[in-house]
Amino acid sequence: MSDYAIRAQNLSKRFWLHGERHTSLKQRFVRGKLPKGHEFWALKDATFEIERGSTFGLMGQNGSGKSTTLKVLAGIYRPTSGSVDVHGRVSALLELGAGFHGDLTGRENIRLNGAILGLTGKQISGAMDQILDFAGIGEFIDLPVKIYSSGMYVRLAFAVAVSLKPEILMVDEVIAVGDEEFQRKCFDHLFDLRKRGTTIVLVTHSLSLIRDMCDKAMWLDHGEIRKLGSAIEVADAYIADVNEREFQAHHVGSDEAPGAGESKRIGSGEVRVTSVDWLDGKGKPSPVLLAGDPCTIRMHYSAREPVSHVVFGLGFLHESGVNVSGPNSGRQGSWALEAGNGHVDFAIDELLLQPGTYQVTTAVVDRGRTFDYADREFDLHVRGRGDQEPGLTRMPGTWKDPVTESGGPDATMLAQEDSRAR
Amino acid sequence: MSTAARPRASLWAYRSLIWNFAQRDLKSRFKGTALGWAWSLMAPLATLMTYSLVFGVFLGGGAPPFGNGRPGFFSVWLLAGLVPWNFFLIAILISMPTILSNGAMLQKVYFPSYAPILGAVTAILVQTMIEFGILAVVLIAFGNVGPTWLLFPFWLAPFIVFVGSVALSLAIMNVHIRDLGHLTNVALQLLFFLTPIIYQIDRIPAEWHGIHVRALVGLNPMSVYVDSLRQLAYALEVPSLSSWLGIGAWAAVAAAVAYLVYTRRGLDIGEAI
Repeated sequence: MSDYAIRAQNLSKRFWLHGERHTSLKQRFVRGKLPKGHEFWALKDATFEIERGSTFGLMGQNGSGKSTTLKVLAGIYRPTSGSVDVHGRVSALLELGAGFHGDLTGRENIRLNGAILGLTGKQISGAMDQILDFAGIGEFIDLPVKIYSSGMYVRLAFAVAVSLKPEILMVDEVIAVGDEEFQRKCFDHLFDLRKRGTTIVLVTHSLSLIRDMCDKAMWLDHGEIRKLGSAIEVADAYIADVNEREFQAHHVGSDEAPGAGESKRIGSGEVRVTSVDWLDGKGKPSPVLLAGDPCTIRMHYSAREPVSHVVFGLGFLHESGVNVSGPNSGRQGSWALEAGNGHVDFAIDELLLQPGTYQVTTAVVDRGRTFDYADREFDLHVRGRGDQEPGLTRMPGTWKDPVTESGGPDATMLAQEDSRAR
Repeated sequence: MSTAARPRASLWAYRSLIWNFAQRDLKSRFKGTALGWAWSLMAPLATLMTYSLVFGVFLGGGAPPFGNGRPGFFSVWLLAGLVPWNFFLIAILISMPTILSNGAMLQKVYFPSYAPILGAVTAILVQTMIEFGILAVVLIAFGNVGPTWLLFPFWLAPFIVFVGSVALSLAIMNVHIRDLGHLTNVALQLLFFLTPIIYQIDRIPAEWHGIHVRALVGLNPMSVYVDSLRQLAYALEVPSLSSWLGIGAWAAVAAAVAYLVYTRRGLDIGEAI
């Protein structure tokens, strides 16, 4: 027995893109043979191994070649060049219920699907009870699937795919459908299959799924392997790249921003905030700030004349309209400003805002007098690292170990078992 | 060179899948109709009656005598020709769109593309076997039974290979050439009249304007199969050696063509749909 379930070597897949295809004889006679169209490499020279019993994640943006890779691994497409060795019976869940025929009953469809997977009638009969149990659609099983609700359809399809004892299960993001309860059941089952040694190949956009379920992952970018390695490493590299790309996108568009909303300004105008910079932990300007990281908000101002007392303030409004926070410098006293340009920094040890977009208001005031008030003029984008908690802000704190206050009936037994296990 | 992630399995290994497709076809075809299976016999029966009326009664087309010496009966003789022809005709018509109608499946799961086509042919074969059974009952009723009936399996096996291969080739090419269906319809109609089914082959002139028409009609593969079946089942004669050679050769040629078409055009068909 080899220690890998799938081994791909220099795998490439090319498609020909045709503007228009001449698929009828009439068209061929009338317009002649078409040029071949231009080629498109959906997968280029990919070499990787998937260990037996491991869970392998495939990630990448839309159109990066994930699904093509999965189809090549499942044997639906033949590679243009390169080779792929698969050891074990493959069950592919690229689309739930793709192998169903509407006129047949659920039971008959189970048989047909089993035959497609290469099972004998006996093996299918053996799995039948488990499928019926997992699908949980009762007497509907003996009715044609065309009358099923979409939920029942999905249940049956998933039950068939996972119950026919695949050695290698390939899953596209299909399980993102169905109700919450069924999804949970699906994931529980995937975990269970993984525990029992089924090799799983998972295509997903969900970084948390990659982190939680996968041992290894492969990140595809325009048909090429960007990174291949442990799931956590690949997921981190991927999110870093997505953040970087967003940085670039914002950077290009940020030149026109300053002074755009000046007409909306309120205040007497002796001091005006001209722009706001978001500085990351290293003090470098960044279009996004990372939740949980240290950062600095730098307000640039321009003072027309010297001012003896000023207080700076910031207001953060979440995109949902909630006013999250409004720090101001009043507690630290007030400053006198000379005429001219300058900046003031608000340093944050740890950004508690959760990922999202916030509208930022700046204010320059002095005891009841407003010099400048820029209402929701600036946008702050906060990005996370994937380990997100619900809510608008994080709650700083530490969880302590649980303390048992009174023992239940089984407590002593469990404790004994626990000590025996040690 | 490239190696795909597909099991290296033979046609034989996929027999259970082919049979499942056949069952699917049979079940879905007759589900929801009160008469169910009986319907499958209505169409051939209607054809038989119409042709008997027009060609047997109106046009006075005769039938050769039975093998047991009794005078021939046109409808029975016609039935012996129509059953194999209908198998050929319906197998092709039903299987031609199978790749397209199973397209969604072929793009989501791997299985050989010949499986649904051969499944469709198998489903038609099941119906054809019932018709052969009826033919046998009718012939027995006329007391026309003989030892040549034992040759029937040796005639049937190559005929199934021939029909299956032609259906497979056309169904796969139909994906690449979408108007093949129309052409095939015309060709089948022509072929029906170029095959001695409703007429006896010796009724056509041996030569017409210097063309050996009778020999040409005799060369057509369906002539070979229809004629030899009538010989062994109706006339109770052993078909000639050249007939047997024709039976085997056409099956072999069709199978070779089907193999070529499948290996060149049938393997990546999920992408072509």
